[in-house]
Formats: sequence, structure tokens, C-alpha cells
Amino acid sequence: MLVLKGLPASPGIAIGPAVLLPGEVFSVSRQYISKQEVKSELSHIQAAIEKTFAELTECEQKVQAELGSEYANLLSTHKLILQDPVLLSSLTSKIQNEFLSAQAALFLTLQELAAPFDKIEDPFFKERRNDIYDVGKRLATNLTGDKQHFLASIHTPSLLVAHNLYPSDTINLQANKIIGFCTDVGGKTSHTALLAQSLKIPAVVGLATASKDVHAGDTLIIDGENGLLVINPDRYTLANYRKIQKDIKKTDSLLKTINHLPVITQDGHPLKLFVNYDPRTDNKDNKRLITDGLGLLRTEFIFMNTPHPPTEEEQYQIYLSVAKRFDMRPATIRLADLGGDKIPTFPLDELQQDDNPFMGCRGIRLFLKNPELLFTQLRAIVRTACEVPAQIRIMIPMVSSVEEVQHVKHAFNEVLAQFAKQGKHPVNKVALGAMIEVPSAALALDGMIGLLDFISIGTNDLIQYLVAVDRVNQEVAHMYDPCHPAVARTLNLIIQTAHKRGKEVSICGELASDSKMLPLLLGLNVDALSVTPRMYLRVKNNIRRADFEHCADLAQAALLMGSSDEIRNLIEQNNKHENP
Amino acid sequence: MIQKELEIKNRLGLHARPAALIAQTAAGFTCDISLTKDDITVNAKSIMGVMMLAAEYGSSLKLSTDGPDENAAFQAIETLFDQKFNEEF
Repeated sequence: MLVLKGLPASPGIAIGPAVLLPGEVFSVSRQYISKQEVKSELSHIQAAIEKTFAELTECEQKVQAELGSEYANLLSTHKLILQDPVLLSSLTSKIQNEFLSAQAALFLTLQELAAPFDKIEDPFFKERRNDIYDVGKRLATNLTGDKQHFLASIHTPSLLVAHNLYPSDTINLQANKIIGFCTDVGGKTSHTALLAQSLKIPAVVGLATASKDVHAGDTLIIDGENGLLVINPDRYTLANYRKIQKDIKKTDSLLKTINHLPVITQDGHPLKLFVNYDPRTDNKDNKRLITDGLGLLRTEFIFMNTPHPPTEEEQYQIYLSVAKRFDMRPATIRLADLGGDKIPTFPLDELQQDDNPFMGCRGIRLFLKNPELLFTQLRAIVRTACEVPAQIRIMIPMVSSVEEVQHVKHAFNEVLAQFAKQGKHPVNKVALGAMIEVPSAALALDGMIGLLDFISIGTNDLIQYLVAVDRVNQEVAHMYDPCHPAVARTLNLIIQTAHKRGKEVSICGELASDSKMLPLLLGLNVDALSVTPRMYLRVKNNIRRADFEHCADLAQAALLMGSSDEIRNLIEQNNKHENP
Repeated sequence: MIQKELEIKNRLGLHARPAALIAQTAAGFTCDISLTKDDITVNAKSIMGVMMLAAEYGSSLKLSTDGPDENAAFQAIETLFDQKFNEEF
């Protein structure tokens, strides 16, 4: 068994035999033609262009009907590339003036046109090179009349492994019995990844060596949820993935049956279930979900890939469209958690290369050193709250001391006063909350809870800081342990402290959507969970199947245990009992 | 000839769709239309040229139009920039 780590490009789990896409045979030697042949070569290329154009139009209509205009636009772009005056003039000149064959002219032209894209650093723009090659490949196929397409020859459901896959290949995948694919290269924003998502084929990209490590016929698992490729899995892994696969398939039927039902345990204990929302990846399925509100809007993306900090107006436009989406429900906007592994591209005095970024100047620490960033974001959020009926909630990331909360609260009140002077007031009271993800904030929560309206526990960072394990470090990653007694005890302390003052506690982070850990979280009496749209119904279903009294007993037992093994054993036994 | 600096105001920059809009719009005019960024000048009627600029959010480009319908061409393309290529962000 070999496991490769890549980037998750399209969610889902696919299991099956591997087929390998034959290497690119797209290289042509410099073939020269005689002067007399120029005319016929020109007409060859013209015919190929016309044929390709017709193909693309047909494909465009098909995609338009099946997937909608968002994806059909991709093919319109390809048509424009085909008609690009630079492409045409280069082809003509190479045939007419350099006496190259149509094929050689096409190959050299594509090389020349794609070369500048290799120098681009931004992966988003670099990916566009593939669109050019994609059109070129279609054109070359029509030029040589080589109709035999590899993908059309596959007859059993298989997983495709390729060094690189072009969007036009991807469009043909489903019809051709490909139930998942992975590639050596590629990024999350490639057209191929986007298409795979809409076709609902699991995909992992950026695996570097997959096409060399996999042999045709190997059994593969493509884990599009976590970006993993498992080659020749052992029995245990295979069984585990089949179970996950089954759970995922449930989602569609869940949507029909429980979407409109309340989030409540079997014995009548209600819970709020929020969604972690990202406006950049919203889709039809997400829009159909009925949720209790927005539990976490990460705002870092607004600060990335921009040469200057985003203005109040720019931020306001984004928050406004997000808040409208959640009508009168809670909409939690987290102040940007910059620093750590999220370094903005605009210059900041305080942000130097940190040797230990996760313990360095990130989150609210960075904002308090750059008050103009804090005030701009607070103004944009309060301005949104003056316009919409949503219950806007502001969340402070990386809080480690009460002074930080005091500073933000002070700034927040100042912003509210500024708006009041202009006669503007929030439609609903804007709540102020903190992420509890640093142990010091958890232990000293009693000192700051009075200043806050709610808290949210960021379990990923909290666990990482509690056990002092960097999950990226291979040497210690296995020690990152949600079952550590310190985790249950710290969660309990946070929840008890908040409840004493009547404040709501929610949990966002991966732990919230871990079905095995859910009974423990419920039993500790958390008020709300916030999970990704993809996990939403699965978590809701698990809550609706749980018994709160039983969970509370389980949590009390866990709090008395002194080792990870004991707690893990308790959770596994409980899980076996609930899901025999 | 008309020349002016324009700023990219849509958050995703000149990716495939905005590049397509520029090339399509430019193709409707007879004058020469070019875009320049960091000393690289491309034909605005070429979608590949426009994509090659890798113009990200907040960067600025020089638009030049030169020919009989240079005024109308300039206006049409400037409008695309101002309207953020009809994108939400």
C-alpha cells in the first residue's frame, strides 16, 4: 500500500482499477514542405480549424444544457483561442514564409504561445496555459485525422491516472466510464478541477509522481475529500473507504428527507447547526440547504492576492452579499486571521518572516499592531449590519488575553459611535465574540467572557496548541490527538465557564464534523456546531440519531479518564454500538 | 492615438472570462488596440495575449487605441474595466 498526498480537486471517494493516460505524443519534428504544397497545407489547417470550431460549438451546447453557462463559458473561451488573430497569423506565416508543414507550424506556434505562461508565478494564471494546449490538441487531432481517442476505448468503470488532464478530456470522462481521476500536476483552480466538481467525479491533483507510481490495473482509492491517492490499499483501508463512500452517497437522499427537519436529538435536546460559508465556492446544492445561519465566514481571502489592503467599500460589498444570503439568521464574520500561513501580499511593517509563524504575529495580534486594518474591517461589517436584517456577529481570531478583547471592544464601540453620529444604526444588535483556540484564553476565559456575547472554539488550532504538535511536521503529526484527555477537559472548562454567564458556545473546526467525536461534543453540552456545506446534512443526521442523555454519560466518563487510549476505546465502543 | 492607465477592479483579475470579454469587444473595432503591463505589450484582440499579462486585482494596465474608431474602442473597453467585467466581486 502506498499513499500519495495531493490537493483535493473534487470531493467524494472513488475506488476501482487504474488506467493510465498514455503520455503526450504531442511533439512533431520540423517537417518542411515545398513551395507548391503551401496552398494545400494552408487549406488543411483551415479545414481543421473549421472542424474544431464546429466540435467546440457542439460541446458548448452540450455542456450548456447539462452543466449550465458557467462551464459553457470555458468552451466559448476555447473558441476565442481558436480564432485568436495571433494564432492564425503565426500559423499562416510559418507555413507561407518558413515552409513548415501544417503540423509542425501548429506545434511550434503552441510552444511559442504557451512559453510566456511558464514564467507566470500566480498559479491561477499559469493554469490558463492548459487551455491553449487543450485547443491545440483538438486542432492537431483534426489535422492528422487521428480519431481514435484513448478515453473512448475504456469499457469498465475505472480511475484515470494522468500526468496532466485537459478540460476537454474531463468533459468526456463520465460518458467514458471514468469514475474518478488524479493527476501529477494542476491546482485547485484549474478548469479541470472545476469541471470535475460539477460532474461530481472525485479528483485529486498535484500528486507529483502518481503517473509513475501507478501501474495499469492497480487498485486505487481516490480520496477527493482529503486529497489522497491510495495505491493497492490493504483490506482494512479498503473496507474503511467503502464505508465512507456509502456515507457520502447517503447525502442526496438525506437532502430530500431531513433538510427541512429541526436539528434536535432523539430525546428532544435542540442544537444550532451553522454552516461555514465561502462565497467563492457556493453552488446549487449549497443553496438548497436549510441552515440555522452562517457560523464562520473566513475573510482572509479578501486580503490575499491584492497589492493594497481591501477598502471599506470593497469589504462592504462582499459582506453585504453574504449577509443577504442569510436573511434574518445569524451571520458570523471572523476578523481576518492573517499571519501564520496566510501572508498578505501587500506590505505590512509588523509582518516579518516569522521563524515560528503559528506562535507569531497572527490574527488579532497583527490587527492590533495595524489598527487601520482593524478599523476598516469593523466599519465595513457595522455598515453591513446597518443595511441588512441578518444578526451580524463579529468574531475575534487568536485571542490569548483579556486585553486584546478590551482593545477590540473599544474599537468596535468607537465604530458604532461613528455610525450613530451619522444617524446610522445596526438593524439588529451586532454581537461580539471570540475564537477560543489558544490554551491561555481557555484557562482564563472567566476573565473575558463578560465582555463577549458568544464564543466559538476553533478545535484545529486549540488541539495543536494543547499538545504542542505542528500537524505539518511528519515527525510529530501522529501525536495530534483529539482523544487526548486534555482536549475533553479543556472543552468542558470552556463550555462550563461560558454557560455560567449564559453565553453561547459553538464549535467550528474539523472535530465538529467527525461522526465518532460528535457524541462527546454533544455530551459536553455545546450549543452550536458549524460545519462545511458538504458535511452539513451528515452531521445533522448524526445529531438527530443521537441520544443526549447517553452522550452526557459518555462525556462524564471521558472526563474521568487519564489517557488517550481509554478515551479512544470509549469512543470506538460507542461508535460500534451506534453503527453496528 | 489614445492612451490611459486603467486599474483592475474585479477581485479575480484578468482571468479567462474577462480576457474573453476584452478580446471579443476589441475584435469589433478596426483600430489597433493594445494593453501594456510591466513593459509587456499585447494585442487586445488576442485572448491569449490578454491572459498572458496575468493582470491581478489592483494592478494597472495601459490601454492604447490607434485608428479611425479609436474613441469608440477606447470607451467600450474602459467601460468593461469600470464595470468589473460584470463580476460580483
